[in-house]
Amino acid sequence: MTRNLCALALAALALAGIAAASTSGTPGVSSTTITLGSSGPLTGEAAAAAGVLRGAEGYFKYVNARGGVNGRKIDFKYLDDGYDPSRTVQNVRQLIQQDNVFALFSVVGTNGNLAIRDFANASGVPTVFSASGATTFGKEYAKYPWTIGYLPPYAEEGQLYAKHILATNAKKAKIAVLYQSDDYGKDVLAGFRKGLGAKARSLIVQTVGYDPTASDVQSQVAQLKASGANTFCIFAFGKFAIQSFVYANKLGWKPQIYVNDVASASSIMLLNPQSTAEGAISILWGKDPATPKFKKDAGTALGAKIVKKYIPGGNPSDGFLIAGMAEAFSMVDALKAAGKNLTRKGLMNAVTHMNEANNPFLVPGVKVHTTPTFRFPIASAQLQRWHNRHWEPFGGVQSAKL
Amino acid sequence: MRPKQVAFGLGVLVLVVLPFVLSDFRTVQLATVGAYFIAILGLDVLTGHSGQISLGHGAFMAVGGYTTAILMANHGVRDLVTIPIAAAVAGGIGLVAGVPALRLSGLYLALATFGIAVVLPTILKKFDHFTGGSTGITLFGKPTQTGHGVGVWGLTNNQWLYVLTWTIGCALFLFAWWLLDSRFGRSLRAVRDSELAAAASGVNRAKYKVLAFGVSAAFAGVAGALFAINVAYTSPDTFPITLSLYLLVGAVVGFFGSIWGAALGALLIQFLPDIVGLIPHVDPKQGGPTTFFFGLVLVVLMLALPLVLRVASRVANRGYLGAR
Amino acid sequence: MTNFIQQIVSGLASGGIYGLLALALVLIHRSTGVINFAQGEMATLSAFVCWTLISHGWAFWPAFGATLVLSFAGGLALETTIIRPIQGGPLLGIVILTIGLLIAFNGLDTWIWGGAAKQFHGPFSTAPIRVGGVAFSKQDLGVIAVAFVVLALVGVLFTRTRLGLGLRAAAVNPDEARLVGVRVPSMLALGWGLAAVLGAIAGVMAAPSLFLEPNMMQTVLLYAFAAAVLGGMDSPLGAVVGGLLLGVLLNLVGTYVHWIGGELRLATALAVILAVLLVRPSGLFGRAAARRV
Repeated sequence: MTRNLCALALAALALAGIAAASTSGTPGVSSTTITLGSSGPLTGEAAAAAGVLRGAEGYFKYVNARGGVNGRKIDFKYLDDGYDPSRTVQNVRQLIQQDNVFALFSVVGTNGNLAIRDFANASGVPTVFSASGATTFGKEYAKYPWTIGYLPPYAEEGQLYAKHILATNAKKAKIAVLYQSDDYGKDVLAGFRKGLGAKARSLIVQTVGYDPTASDVQSQVAQLKASGANTFCIFAFGKFAIQSFVYANKLGWKPQIYVNDVASASSIMLLNPQSTAEGAISILWGKDPATPKFKKDAGTALGAKIVKKYIPGGNPSDGFLIAGMAEAFSMVDALKAAGKNLTRKGLMNAVTHMNEANNPFLVPGVKVHTTPTFRFPIASAQLQRWHNRHWEPFGGVQSAKL
Repeated sequence: MRPKQVAFGLGVLVLVVLPFVLSDFRTVQLATVGAYFIAILGLDVLTGHSGQISLGHGAFMAVGGYTTAILMANHGVRDLVTIPIAAAVAGGIGLVAGVPALRLSGLYLALATFGIAVVLPTILKKFDHFTGGSTGITLFGKPTQTGHGVGVWGLTNNQWLYVLTWTIGCALFLFAWWLLDSRFGRSLRAVRDSELAAAASGVNRAKYKVLAFGVSAAFAGVAGALFAINVAYTSPDTFPITLSLYLLVGAVVGFFGSIWGAALGALLIQFLPDIVGLIPHVDPKQGGPTTFFFGLVLVVLMLALPLVLRVASRVANRGYLGAR
Repeated sequence: MTNFIQQIVSGLASGGIYGLLALALVLIHRSTGVINFAQGEMATLSAFVCWTLISHGWAFWPAFGATLVLSFAGGLALETTIIRPIQGGPLLGIVILTIGLLIAFNGLDTWIWGGAAKQFHGPFSTAPIRVGGVAFSKQDLGVIAVAFVVLALVGVLFTRTRLGLGLRAAAVNPDEARLVGVRVPSMLALGWGLAAVLGAIAGVMAAPSLFLEPNMMQTVLLYAFAAAVLGGMDSPLGAVVGGLLLGVLLNLVGTYVHWIGGELRLATALAVILAVLLVRPSGLFGRAAARRV
């Protein structure tokens, strides 16, 4: 008996601690603050991507210190989902129903964003500048009017690599592709195939997937090498991309490498064996602070200042932080444009009429441009080549047909 | 009235009162707790009373969750109808799994169930034409969702989920209580405590162990179905190995596999991150601390086991992880 | 054909790591009678300790030596403070305790070192050596060599020394061992200490090619289970041979059975575990059957 009562008492105690009141009025907007919410992998195998949230948080703090947006300070709340989309759903439910956020901003990950968009749209909560480049977030605006992405569409990234191969080595290229077998990897691969067009069948000699819970991709890389390919596309995250370089090096395989944006930060590239990394090609849209061309740049300096002051323990050359600041810069622009009388409709109107050419964290020439029927905020990028331990941008800023 | 009946009555009373004092969001959080509660009940029957360990109950939850999700999304079956089907599918698989499990005792059963829980998400991802792959299956806004948009009995959607989960939770608790107090329960414990003695007294060892596996898996299947209905979404990453391990933590926290502690274990799984956030100088956003404290709770409790066993041996109808 | 041989060679390299961790599992199983689910996380923790020493300017070998000493002490401490109080109680209690350690160590690693993958410079060069069209590195050879050296040492310990005899006796029959003068508690503590050392070797050998992060050994643990079960839970030789066989098997199946591919690698390992446990519980080299009622 005592044990049973004891259990009840403990349960009741736990519950008493969590009871909380809700507020009413315009959700997330008071005379002094705007509350934004987000969710991302603060833990787990994709934890590095949470740098986007910390970068954005840093930029908001910087803006708040200088008076905020139209007199309101931004309160940015983000929760950990460990890259598990069902936890993203629960987090978003908390942010909307408990924390009363004005809008969701920069929710990280393709699967997480896919999982929440029905709920967020049914609740009429803007889900803006999501940290995903899945093509669907820009295309399905009729069905999901409250959702808009930010990053260059993954399909476009694939197409840009394809265009480069067709322009430089259309005759002799034999292409091997390693891709993460989820929506992300398949999206890039689909864009890549589309970019090669009719030649996809003859040029791609092998594609191999890997599961992100795997420990390594050694066997896959050996398999791709054995296909006799001279071009190696790495559409993989963090450690798997690094392992791809390491194993290619170990196998003495020297293909022309194309490595996806998510694993091409200088800080990651420096971990690769340099003899293999030399000459690798990737895309670029945000300024990589380690790239010599941007070392003395005003945007890079501002980023470094923000990291130093507002992001304790942050590495100023972490590309994810800069990407987050770029997103936050656009968000502040949109909030300003939405005016003093801030509404959710007003915000959606602002984010679908972006024309921002002065984002200091983006490569010159890359603009944030949207219309109500064109919802890819960053639709262009530049190619860059890894040379002598740093990236060198080349060619102009270009875009692909989506 | 016997003390246990009083305790149960009080528990139900608390459950009835809670939605009136908690916010809408906390209500739906408690619905999720209800799903964990049911899964832990199942684990209590298996591990606490039949002495078979399962480190893979998250996998049975996944079976239930996917049964519900696939039926709701692709076959137009209403969510309420999918729950018994999920129980049947998971229970059936549990029965089938229970047969080879007979050949594995203790350590090796732990190892095999651990392996299944680690591997299942990769299998769910691979067969994507069936499971939706890593994208998962969204159930939000599906016409098969009961009360979506219009509500049920004037409740908010969150309150409805709470009522649904805890009604089933209470019913299953009563069922487990009755089951463990019946001949079946006594036979299970006889087998657990001494296989030889049980066999000598005419208890069919294999039958009871396999049945326990089936019942336990059916509980987990219901839990998975309710979890999918609550979150209105399911994907392979919803059921990671950590879920299975946390369920075990929950079962141990609940008085070492007694159904009377299941609610406590379920609350811990949901709210430990919030509790860890209360510790000064610890940032639960880092993730590491929460995981660390989950492990620590389990270690500390197991160290307290010898003491508990001594106390428990004086209380009849106990549940404890006492299998050798 | 080149690819076939390459896959075998790469498989042996991965298998060496599985074998090393499996050896630690077998050692603890043989000397204390339990399966240590925290073995993988203990290995990762040791690798992090070694990485920290190296990043503070230590050379590899001194750092490695210090890590082994620290791991041994850590294993002893774990046994005496956490395992011993419930030793002799229900076996499942100890298994659940090691699950608790698995969770706690994983959280601790993330807490202290963060989740990002870290580069770990091992003692062996990763520069390629090519024979015919097949490539491998000193790192690969080194891992396999280390596995066999450790295996030999464990073999000598168990069969040629009084200490080894005591370890085995304490595990198989603690009561009789006590009667003939074996100090059972010390033996059990020693078993944990040695297993921690073997785990540390596995972690440090794995880190250069897998990249060091808190979840590094999580999937490797399942491969190590498969290797140990395949070789027979009580056989050190079986663990290493099982690891190498498994590494080769997974690579060949992943390469040539297309519906399995790279995505069902873990599932293949699980299939090995289940098949061996159900068909031949003693594995390839084990003597004791899996049934322990």
